[in-house]
Amino acid sequence: MQPFGSLPLRVRLTIWYVEVLAAMLILFIAGTSFVLYFQLFHQLTRFAVQDVETVEGLLSFQPDGRLTLNEDYHNHAQSRYVLERLLEVITPEGRVIYKNERLGSNLLDSAPFAGEGVNGYSERSSRLQNGQRVVLVSRRHNLEGRPIIIRLGYDQAAIWSRIQEFLTASVTALPVLLGLAAFFGYQLARRSLLPLQDMANRAEHITAERLDQRLPIANPNDELGQLAASFNTVLNRLEQSFHQLRRFTSDASHELRTPLAAIRSVGEVGLQNSRTASEYQDTIGSMLEEVTRLTKLVEALLTFSRADEGRVELAVSQFSPLDLTREVVGLVEVLADERHQEVLVSGEESVRVCGDRLLLRQALINVLQNAVKYSPDGGKIWVVVGTAVSGRATVTVSDSGPGIPLEHRSKIFDRFYRIDEARTRETGGAGLGLSIANWAVQAQGGEIRVEDSDHGATFLIELPIK
Amino acid sequence: MRILVIEDEPKLAKAVKEGLEADDYSISLAHSGEDGFYQLCQERFDLAILDVMLPGRDGFEILKSVRQMGLLIPVLLLTARDAVEDRVRGLDIGADDYLVKPFAFPELQARVRALLRRGTPEAAASSRLGDLELDISRCSVTRGGQRIDLTAKEYEILEYLFRHKGRVVSREMLVRDVWKEPGRQTPLDNVIDVHVNHLRKKLDDNYSRKLLHTVRGLGFVLREDET
Repeated sequence: MQPFGSLPLRVRLTIWYVEVLAAMLILFIAGTSFVLYFQLFHQLTRFAVQDVETVEGLLSFQPDGRLTLNEDYHNHAQSRYVLERLLEVITPEGRVIYKNERLGSNLLDSAPFAGEGVNGYSERSSRLQNGQRVVLVSRRHNLEGRPIIIRLGYDQAAIWSRIQEFLTASVTALPVLLGLAAFFGYQLARRSLLPLQDMANRAEHITAERLDQRLPIANPNDELGQLAASFNTVLNRLEQSFHQLRRFTSDASHELRTPLAAIRSVGEVGLQNSRTASEYQDTIGSMLEEVTRLTKLVEALLTFSRADEGRVELAVSQFSPLDLTREVVGLVEVLADERHQEVLVSGEESVRVCGDRLLLRQALINVLQNAVKYSPDGGKIWVVVGTAVSGRATVTVSDSGPGIPLEHRSKIFDRFYRIDEARTRETGGAGLGLSIANWAVQAQGGEIRVEDSDHGATFLIELPIK
Repeated sequence: MRILVIEDEPKLAKAVKEGLEADDYSISLAHSGEDGFYQLCQERFDLAILDVMLPGRDGFEILKSVRQMGLLIPVLLLTARDAVEDRVRGLDIGADDYLVKPFAFPELQARVRALLRRGTPEAAASSRLGDLELDISRCSVTRGGQRIDLTAKEYEILEYLFRHKGRVVSREMLVRDVWKEPGRQTPLDNVIDVHVNHLRKKLDDNYSRKLLHTVRGLGFVLREDET
């Protein structure tokens, strides 16, 4: 198949098709010739056997002892020349006592073999001195009390000429047939590949800017339909990724621009009039605060970029999520205390999870800070460690805040997503805390989601145990 | 103490030079790897601050050559890349410490002090500041003879501030040295602010002479003056 590798598929298909058809036709012709030969051979033999019996009735010894064949029964004297029989009569000792004219000087066979024609007809193929191949049948008879062997042959040339005719006809027809097959095969291949060509043309017009285009699916059940469907699925994912990337880039630029704008304004205003040293210090300090924000934002973006590239290596170990939870609560409790909130930790001591402790710690810190941020002063936050039905470990963080409306739940973990734009400045963050938590949990094969609850927001973190 | 700063970004180089000169170090600048390497070979320095991303030969190469020559000068790497493998590579080649850009200047000052001390631990140089007294052996704090009750965390912060008395301590330093957080990412700024506020209340609220100051945009400092 290698030499055809560069040809279009429809041509290759036609070539394969014609090749297979040619091989099959040649096999068919050979087989038919074979069968034809055996049938004709058999027919000729049968014919010879019947003729032996006819000849036997026509043979008689003349008074002088000569053997003659009485062919007077023909209506026309010339009719006997139509008979193609080759006839030879011999004595059991091998002496030729009769030969017909057609046989001429040839002998049908050499001396008789033992038992030739004794019980039934001896049928065989023989070659005369002149090279003629004959079907030979011999039969032993007693003619007027004297034993004779009648040998009767028919030329096999008749068989071969038939076969030759058949072969000539077949071989002449073969190229015509193959030609027709190639033509129709090519048309068929071209027509069935036409949708593919169409797909290729359409796919060429789909670019990063026009990802909304899809391939038409004529028949969803055939191979081409399936191909188009898979292609469309890939396009869907691609479009989604592109969309996310674009939104991420635009959100990130926006988030970067905000502190930059602040730095610029504060700096410009600070330089407009001369001020006291402490005023300048305040101006510079204010600018540095924004720089800190910028730095943290860039670091978060770097974390995401590394995560997206899959370049984060996990330090996996087994640990108690309850211990980790207590540790994290100990860390951020001071924030809750500040607002007279109460953080209640409970759960199963025996639960162990398998994952990156540091990453999970980060996720928990973010989720807990979020809970503190959105719970009212004097509210409560519950952290419960348990086991899910699936056998995985769970950490549930519930707050007593306003909760998360249904329409926001699917997007709450998106980068830069905030439920309430207006609360941004007041509460700090750039809308990255939960998406970092989401990434950190997913990176270790876990899952984080918002659960239904009658009070506040409930975050459920599910983690693998091995 | 002589320090060589090899940094190609002129603004940053100038800022580092001026900032460290204020701490009474003598600073030489090199703006390229070749220049820096030449100076290191020609003169004697107590410390080199080496940027990794340099035009021509980068910081890693310079460091490698320096170590191959057998120079044992302490080297502080500055790098904009904070991937773990980059840090490990730097330390493997023979850096003594690294700092990820952008860094807080107090952090650089602290690292420089630590490297120049070379192993001698910085004990609280003096546990007295005005009428504030820190008794390390008994973990007790008094001001004007009055005992001040601190939580464990507050005490740790105060001790750390005492150790860096008169110098600004950034939030990053507190996260790393007091909270011992392994990740640079852990968002604890608000947690730190709350603890420091509590500490400030207990130390300064009843006294007209304030000791614990917030330096806007930088961090905190323990000192007697009132700016």
